Amino acid sequence: MKNHENASPVLEVQGLKQYFRVSRTYTVKAVEDVSFKIYPGETYGLVGESGSGKSTIGRSVIRLYEPTDGKITFAGKDISGKISKADNKTLRTQMQMIFQDPMASLNPRKKVEDILGEGLDIHHMYANRAERKAKIQAILAKVGLAPEHAARYPHQFSGGQRQRVGIARAMIMNPKLIIADECISALDVSIQAQVVNLMKDIQEETGSAYLFIAHDLSMVKYISDRIGVLHLGHLLETGTTEEIFSNPIHPYTRSLLSAIPSPNPIVEKTRISENYDYRTSGLDYTKGTDHLISGSHYVKCTDEELERFLKH
Amino acid sequence: MADYNEKILDIHDLDITFNTTAGPVHAIRGVDIDLMKGETVAIVGESGSGKSVTMKAAMGILASNAAVNKGTIEFTYHHADGTQETVDILEKDKKWIRRHINGKRIAMVFQDPMTSLDPTMTIGKQLIEGMVWHFKTPKKEAWEKAIQLLKEVGITDAEKRMKNYPHQLSGGMRQRVVIAIALACNPDLLICDEPTTALDVTIQAKIIELIKRVQKERGISVIYITHDLGVVAKVADYVNVMYAGKIVEKGKINEIFYDPRHPYTWGLLSAMPDLNTEDERLYTIPGSPPNLLREKTGDAFAPRNQFALEIDDKLEPPMFKITETHEAATWLLDPRAPKVEMPEELKARIERMKKEAEGYEES
Repeated sequence: MKNHENASPVLEVQGLKQYFRVSRTYTVKAVEDVSFKIYPGETYGLVGESGSGKSTIGRSVIRLYEPTDGKITFAGKDISGKISKADNKTLRTQMQMIFQDPMASLNPRKKVEDILGEGLDIHHMYANRAERKAKIQAILAKVGLAPEHAARYPHQFSGGQRQRVGIARAMIMNPKLIIADECISALDVSIQAQVVNLMKDIQEETGSAYLFIAHDLSMVKYISDRIGVLHLGHLLETGTTEEIFSNPIHPYTRSLLSAIPSPNPIVEKTRISENYDYRTSGLDYTKGTDHLISGSHYVKCTDEELERFLKH
Repeated sequence: MADYNEKILDIHDLDITFNTTAGPVHAIRGVDIDLMKGETVAIVGESGSGKSVTMKAAMGILASNAAVNKGTIEFTYHHADGTQETVDILEKDKKWIRRHINGKRIAMVFQDPMTSLDPTMTIGKQLIEGMVWHFKTPKKEAWEKAIQLLKEVGITDAEKRMKNYPHQLSGGMRQRVVIAIALACNPDLLICDEPTTALDVTIQAKIIELIKRVQKERGISVIYITHDLGVVAKVADYVNVMYAGKIVEKGKINEIFYDPRHPYTWGLLSAMPDLNTEDERLYTIPGSPPNLLREKTGDAFAPRNQFALEIDDKLEPPMFKITETHEAATWLLDPRAPKVEMPEELKARIERMKKEAEGYEES
């Protein structure tokens, strides 16, 4: 467990609400009152099923959406709402994103060196061509690609290599925060492990913080220091990885954990995963408040609900 | 339970090459798979190992640039009057396969439900299409049957859903519909090609449980193609581990998971995330899958194998028999080979798994 006593958070999200108005009578409430903090050098895992609002949070943080309500603070500066041009510029270098599908997020008509160099070009981060080239070569080496890969196009790579290019593109700006939106979901299990290990190595070296968005808790366990569980836009349970895995309180978290198949056939053949359905569970997320379980482990529910959870 | 003695699919020595602009790609290099009635076989391997190509060959839906060099795919089925017939699918033409096999006797569930459903047709129309075409079922009867099928795969409001279009359903629902379509003609064999890879974990668990239930109720055989060993542990009776177009280890599920012999299987098992350890790092198999454009002499896995012997670069290992049902293709099993044990971490993990499995009776 990392010590946050003296550090100030690199990202602080307070009471974030993100609504999308579809028509005059119908509004999608994608994110409801979500708060969390990310400290320098740590990884915060955001998990939940599709439609739970986890990608929306990532996109709100990086200012792709305008938040309906709430405050987002990055490195001590409020970045929700209107910000100055200078702030916008620093934000665009210090916060980067890695996307799910590496093929769709890399320009097929650009060579890897130009994909990686685009950010450097825009922000004039080199004095001459040689420096630009050196920076690109250095980042390629860091993500485990060969120097000759710089002259290739995205379609000439395998899925795992493409995701490495995606990581290199984010890392080259030396960001303080990287938002990784389902960046391993499209890869094979063995390649997923390679990418997760790579991201951990880079974090150790550069001290960047990650917001790691995923639906697969088993991989999140390896990379995250803290985890937030999201369902229908509500942050239901949050705590350190250890707290969530050893003592899951909320039935939704428990159903997520029980859905992970383990490679143990005799056990797995007889085990039925726990069912969870919000409509029949009798829970009301909107009435819930944060309850402290232990340490930094919080569960969002009402008092009666908590009692019910703890009885299990 | 179904009659276990009847062989329904027998793939023997299958060998397929794709002719591409970059040159011939030798994708399948001698694959043998047997499947008995009512059983589940899993084919495991990384992308590009040839697992999907093998099953596409069995369905007769290979791409036009594929050439089958040798091998047979024998499929046994029953006519409506109960007479049994065995055909070699590779010898039949496409038209015959479409008429007699595809959808009727072998059905397939693909990875992405959005691309395997027709966006311009209602769910109901897509469900009855196969029944009307193969069995000339009257539309009304087919419609009633389709509603039953939707109920069977756990879709509520089945009558209403029949008139919906695919985009109106969620990912998990769509995959349920795809399974219902696959089951519409009462096939003998269901091939699931990564049926849950595009879905969330919670929905994945439900879809797998659904396929298991349907299989039990109908007594059909299932072939599972996947790269996720956790899914395999849940569903399979037999496992085939594929690497670079060859089966490198095959056996009963417990033999593969509790007594793996091939270094590649060791790697795959070690790379599974483990919820019970405090390990900070995941194990990865070094390197990347081989490029099949360039044929390599000897064992294709040798360059990534930390236990590779000298002979691995010269001669391809044959299948060594370990038990009646368990075989692996690695020179490590040759009596002359030095004794190599599986990695310590994996050994500890298997011990832990066995301990956990005690107390669970195999059902």
